Amino acid sequence: MPGASRVLAWLAAIVAASALAFWLGGYATDVYRKMLIWIALALSYNFLFGIAGQVAFSHFAFAGVGAYAVVILAHKIGLPFGIAFIGALALCALLAYIVALPATRLEGFYLALATLAFSQLVLVVIDEGGSLTGGTGGIANYRLPPVLGFAIRGPWYTVLLVLLVALTLWTLVRLDHSAFGRACRAIRDNAVAAAAMGVDVRRVKVLAFTLTSTLAGLAGIAYAYVDNVINPSVFGLENIFLLLFMIIIGGSGSHLGAIIGAIVVYLAPFLLEPIVGHGFLVVFGVLVVLTILFQPAGLAGLLTWRAARQAT
Amino acid sequence: MIGGALMAVSGLTKRFGGLTAVEGLELELLPGEILALIGPNGAGKTTTFNLIAGVFSPSAGSITLGGVRIDGMPVHQIAALGLMRTFQHNMPFAGMSLTDNILVGRHTRLRASLLDILLGRRRFREEEAAARRRAAELVALVGLREEVDRDVSALPFGEGRLLELARALAGEPRIVLLDEPAAGLTQPEMARLAATIRDIAARGIAVLLIEHDMHFLLPLAHRVVVLNFGRKIAEGTPEQIACNAEVIEAYLGGAVGSAAGRPGHA
Amino acid sequence: MEDLPELIVSATASGCIYALVALAYLLILRPTSVINFAIGEWAATGAFIGVAVLTPLAWPRLEGPYWLALVAVLVILGLLGWLVEVVTVRPLIRRGAGITSPILALLGVLVIFRESLTMLFGADPLPSPPPFGFKRVALGPFAGASQQFLIIGATFAVFVAVWLFFERTVWGRAFEAVALNRRAAALIGINLRRVTALAFAAGAMVAGLAGLLMTPLTSAHYMMGLPLAIQGFTALVIGGVGRVEGALLGGLLLAFVEQLGARYLPIPSGLTLGFPFVLLIVFLFLRPGGLIAPREAC
Repeated sequence: MPGASRVLAWLAAIVAASALAFWLGGYATDVYRKMLIWIALALSYNFLFGIAGQVAFSHFAFAGVGAYAVVILAHKIGLPFGIAFIGALALCALLAYIVALPATRLEGFYLALATLAFSQLVLVVIDEGGSLTGGTGGIANYRLPPVLGFAIRGPWYTVLLVLLVALTLWTLVRLDHSAFGRACRAIRDNAVAAAAMGVDVRRVKVLAFTLTSTLAGLAGIAYAYVDNVINPSVFGLENIFLLLFMIIIGGSGSHLGAIIGAIVVYLAPFLLEPIVGHGFLVVFGVLVVLTILFQPAGLAGLLTWRAARQAT
Repeated sequence: MIGGALMAVSGLTKRFGGLTAVEGLELELLPGEILALIGPNGAGKTTTFNLIAGVFSPSAGSITLGGVRIDGMPVHQIAALGLMRTFQHNMPFAGMSLTDNILVGRHTRLRASLLDILLGRRRFREEEAAARRRAAELVALVGLREEVDRDVSALPFGEGRLLELARALAGEPRIVLLDEPAAGLTQPEMARLAATIRDIAARGIAVLLIEHDMHFLLPLAHRVVVLNFGRKIAEGTPEQIACNAEVIEAYLGGAVGSAAGRPGHA
Repeated sequence: MEDLPELIVSATASGCIYALVALAYLLILRPTSVINFAIGEWAATGAFIGVAVLTPLAWPRLEGPYWLALVAVLVILGLLGWLVEVVTVRPLIRRGAGITSPILALLGVLVIFRESLTMLFGADPLPSPPPFGFKRVALGPFAGASQQFLIIGATFAVFVAVWLFFERTVWGRAFEAVALNRRAAALIGINLRRVTALAFAAGAMVAGLAGLLMTPLTSAHYMMGLPLAIQGFTALVIGGVGRVEGALLGGLLLAFVEQLGARYLPIPSGLTLGFPFVLLIVFLFLRPGGLIAPREAC
């Protein structure tokens, strides 16, 4: 049965990725955890940008809202963690919906600018939040409370992040291979024809934006407990560019591309910095330009092209 | 409304600023009927088409489909009611496979909710499988070649036209609007298309088409409506129209049976 | 309220810088429909060229005359703008790749420029001397630094020149024609490639000029590009993406709201940093065409 072998493949991947958590030392664990968060963000952003065709710059803002919301609810206000978690997620979803309603009326790059402006406003609000948000210094000195009696520490938290990535990927792949995913791609390719085929363009756009931004919020919640420190700079503009570059270089519209792009762009600085110092960003810029010019399908496109060639 | 009419257009008028594109149009379409809309360039055919498809709202008049008023309704709702259309210039979804393109046409028939999709419930899986089977049937019906996962942007023009048709049919419509479906096709492709349209109509689907090519139209259409300057100037069987003096005059030159009305011809 | 005239001078000077950046966007946007977000980095490049020519703080440490800096900025940025167009934008437009691809490619260019500036000039802010000295100038009740008046004067000169270019010269007409209808313009014989190349070069030069003019007041530093790009785009949206005058109006309006709001509104000063973003959002929704309606194709 094809279904069973696919489930086995998923389980094998999850187990392997989790086993890695137990094998890595302290510093490498931090790198691995952050990479997992980036992969989760890249997957949801790929759906929004590559599949639904919405050029939005608000992804990190929603991650920030998720992170700050859970920390404030659980540690500043002192709610039980379960409630804080659900509350933070609900807040992200609600905010994403409120932003989506007007934002999806804008086309192309005007959507990008509006969501950029929104992100910067979120940052300003966080910076000026006084003792509630910790201002520019952020919030520290909190820990993940025991969940269902278990204190999730060390490698087990990394396993949780692996599960986060798996959940994100599974959700997005499911949505992709359905009428909803096809509607998103159809709107991206030709919104007029999509409407003529019966797609409620407005509704699908709002749904895509809300769902992916909520997933970003979820990744943000997970991020809050990686360093047990959050501050506004993490959710700034630089990272949105990096995320965008991950998607472009990896292959826009492909889940595999998002994963590859995230891994490559995240790990490359560690390898390149000893050689070119800060110049690795120039490398990314050049790679982005080259990808758009010569290989729009990105690294994932290279892989599938090679696989297709080997098959013939 | 005359009993039995699937779609009825009454007093349809559309003004763009000072220009009246369509005026006082009366039209009816029965299930399984093939109605051709003809007229010189600028006669208002495309505007009428776009009014029925929901791209514009009329300035006056009404359009009903199965008794329901559809004028002023959003395009996607009209599609959900069973009215599908093709475009004059191929508008494929370039980033999707052939099958997926056709499946988008089926969008309104797929009822699985987001939850069904996420949980992989049986309702969703069965619906998808049935939809894919239907897409394969449509590929065969319209005469597209087999390889269903081809890169759509590389499709030759004639096959692009066929994809338009297959996509519109995927929604199991009650009525299809075809905008110059034969334009740019070779003779054998046109013959195949005519056979397909007859097949569709025989299944009870009403067909409204705009065409310039009389050789294609006359043996195919049950009825012909002629527009000029936004008004209906004649209506009847193809034979009646071909002999109608007013119509011949409207086309200014040559018997209506010639290809003179076709753009691109000398 | 005593410092209102000074505030007006300050806001006008800032507004002029925003206006120049908005103009740079517009020069590129109108004929090509491409939003070139790298404009901010071009302004930063102009700023750093100024430092390099006028001061001993950066290679080649010329400590030269002002006109040399001006020429260097215009020539170098003109060349860079033209180069970027040829290498990244032209192949995409020729391929018919739509509008999003060039814009994204230009984001890559943005990063390339910014990191290159960082590598060449370091992370510290570098000031350059105002050509008319540090003394204060007064025009009636309006007093301010000499540089502020230079900015205002230079900006008005640039706007007049551009306006004359569009209204009175054959090349300017060609620009407008391409902006209104690319295909028709090509059909009547206008060389699209040349217009596009000129648009990018001109946009780069105007942006570089903005950077050069603002450096005596704000110093050149590697992070200056992006905020400037956002503010310039906000000014463009406010003023209307169609008309040259709109860029000036938008820039001034943005600066006045920013500075007068920060000074007189009873809200914490940190929040006033949000003004440009609120304005951008408001204008994107309420008046996507901006305050001044563009010329429509008939």
